[in-house]
Amino acid sequence: MTHVLLVDDDPELRTLVGDYLQRYGMRVTAVADGAGLRRTLPTGMAGSSDPYDVLLLDLMLPDAHGLDLCRWVQAHHPLPLIMLTAQGDPASRIVGLELGADDYLPKPFEPRELVARIHAVLRRAASARGASAVTATTTTTTTTTTTSTTAAASQPAVHFNGWAFDRLRRQLTSPGQVVLALSNAEFRLLSAFIAHPRHVLSRDRLLELTLTPGVDVTDRSIDLAVSRLRQKLEDPALIRTVRGEGYSFDADLA
Amino acid sequence: MKHLFADTLFKRLFLLMWVALVASHLAGFFSMRALSAGPPAHIGGPPHDVALPPVPSLPPLALPGPPGARSPGFDEADDGPPPPRHEPAPQLWVDYLVRLLVIGGAAWFGARWLSQPMRRLADASRGLAQSLAQHRRPPPLNEASGTLEVQQTAQVFNTMATQLHEQFESRGLMMAAISHDLRTPLSRLRLRLEHLDDGTLKDRCVADVQEAEHLIASVLDTLRLSHTATTPQRVDMRALLQSLVDDLVEQGQPVGCECLPMERPAVVLADASELQRAIGNLVANAVRHGGSAQLTLGEQGDRLLVRVDDAGPGIPEHELEAVFRPFYRVDASRSRHTGGTGLGLYIARDLARRHGGHLTLANRREGGLRAELSLPLA
Repeated sequence: MTHVLLVDDDPELRTLVGDYLQRYGMRVTAVADGAGLRRTLPTGMAGSSDPYDVLLLDLMLPDAHGLDLCRWVQAHHPLPLIMLTAQGDPASRIVGLELGADDYLPKPFEPRELVARIHAVLRRAASARGASAVTATTTTTTTTTTTSTTAAASQPAVHFNGWAFDRLRRQLTSPGQVVLALSNAEFRLLSAFIAHPRHVLSRDRLLELTLTPGVDVTDRSIDLAVSRLRQKLEDPALIRTVRGEGYSFDADLA
Repeated sequence: MKHLFADTLFKRLFLLMWVALVASHLAGFFSMRALSAGPPAHIGGPPHDVALPPVPSLPPLALPGPPGARSPGFDEADDGPPPPRHEPAPQLWVDYLVRLLVIGGAAWFGARWLSQPMRRLADASRGLAQSLAQHRRPPPLNEASGTLEVQQTAQVFNTMATQLHEQFESRGLMMAAISHDLRTPLSRLRLRLEHLDDGTLKDRCVADVQEAEHLIASVLDTLRLSHTATTPQRVDMRALLQSLVDDLVEQGQPVGCECLPMERPAVVLADASELQRAIGNLVANAVRHGGSAQLTLGEQGDRLLVRVDDAGPGIPEHELEAVFRPFYRVDASRSRHTGGTGLGLYIARDLARRHGGHLTLANRREGGLRAELSLPLA
């Protein structure tokens, strides 16, 4: 059962979210403010009898700014984190994600969307754990692996062949310093490629990697996004077609 | 070159003082002359030689009558055939020059000295706009130095700057309060609606919540616009339009895009997210009121054109400009059903202007409305 820790200063909202998530097989522990979070979180970390799986953190709390709490959580008790906020301006979204939140949901949110985002964040955390467990030579605890994944996610820009890819602003900057906007499909695809450089990824694998709630991703849409990305990158060799197998992103990340 | 001839307070003061001083010397000289030489000027005398300096030919020093004391003008009047003209002695020229320079120098310093407070005020006003945009307390003017008027002006300016700063800050707080205090109950309402059985009633209620949220977001956008500073980047408009349209197509919206061949790269100097918002608003409008949106990217001279065409009924000609006003609706009853806050076009035009662009609407001959955004190419 997924255990959710919710931090929000509105008592009714805490109850409502709790009731709603219960329907989807989640259990919610709710606290009202930053002090409550600092008190509660250490008792429910990995290794305890009932650890928290995900943290829902409101940005506007009476006693602390959500962004400070975000930083504190990442430093002391790393945990998949979704920010909820009534502010909803692009700037606070980017700052939040830069500080290591895994996702961001503006209020008022569609309840189904919240469920989908929680699942997505958990899935990402699990696959990151799996991936690092394979590559890790020494035995690592859950805590340290989570730290490494969030650290990687919070590094905003990835560079390859003179290009810069900013995940938070979702834009690509060319070697000539021209900003190229990315569509959601292109963004998901490029993120998947950058997570697996110089690996041949089959269409099925790409489908899996670019899966997103609310959108039908098909073979055709993958092919379309690939051709669009190639147009934008102006270098057809960067995304190589491996006949019969899939695509490979042939760039060295810096 | 232009600022060389600009009308400045400094120049006015400088000229005024210089002219006044020179004029006072002239007046002094002539009155002295008139007194010492008795009844002067023969009326109807031969015309003065134009080559003579129009400035008095003799300095006051020469008045009592050293050799050749009579001025050339009087020489000519007195003697029938004009005698060889008396050039003023070199030391006289030096005398004129020194006076002119001293007077000019004094006028220059005086003018600078007097116009300095105005320049300080202008600098401070410039700083005020900047610090308001960056949410800093504006740097105060010195209220203790200068003349009484300058001190009073500084006081008034500082009071005004503080009040403006406070108003901007309170507007920021108000925005936070609006977003928090309206969105929290809206979030609760949205969650409560999950207790309703699925059906038309629930769908309509959910749509209402979304419409309210959309309105809050637009109002906040409008308030935020005026005081956010952005750093412009070189933005590829082809990629921007393509990605915007691809995202909408992914959501199943009837939107298309065509890029006409262009001679120059479709790059503008702008904030990418703001342009996305502006064009997104135009597209949303076209889909909402016109059923579909067809985008075209082209160029005209050194400007880039983005056209958004729809297949709707268009707008009466006399209302084409009015729809840019906030909350203006062409047909109240119809628009309310089709949604929209009435701020989309207003925000889009505001954003376009911030980027040196123009946004206009026109009815197309073949039917439907065309929104045209023109931006300077980078």
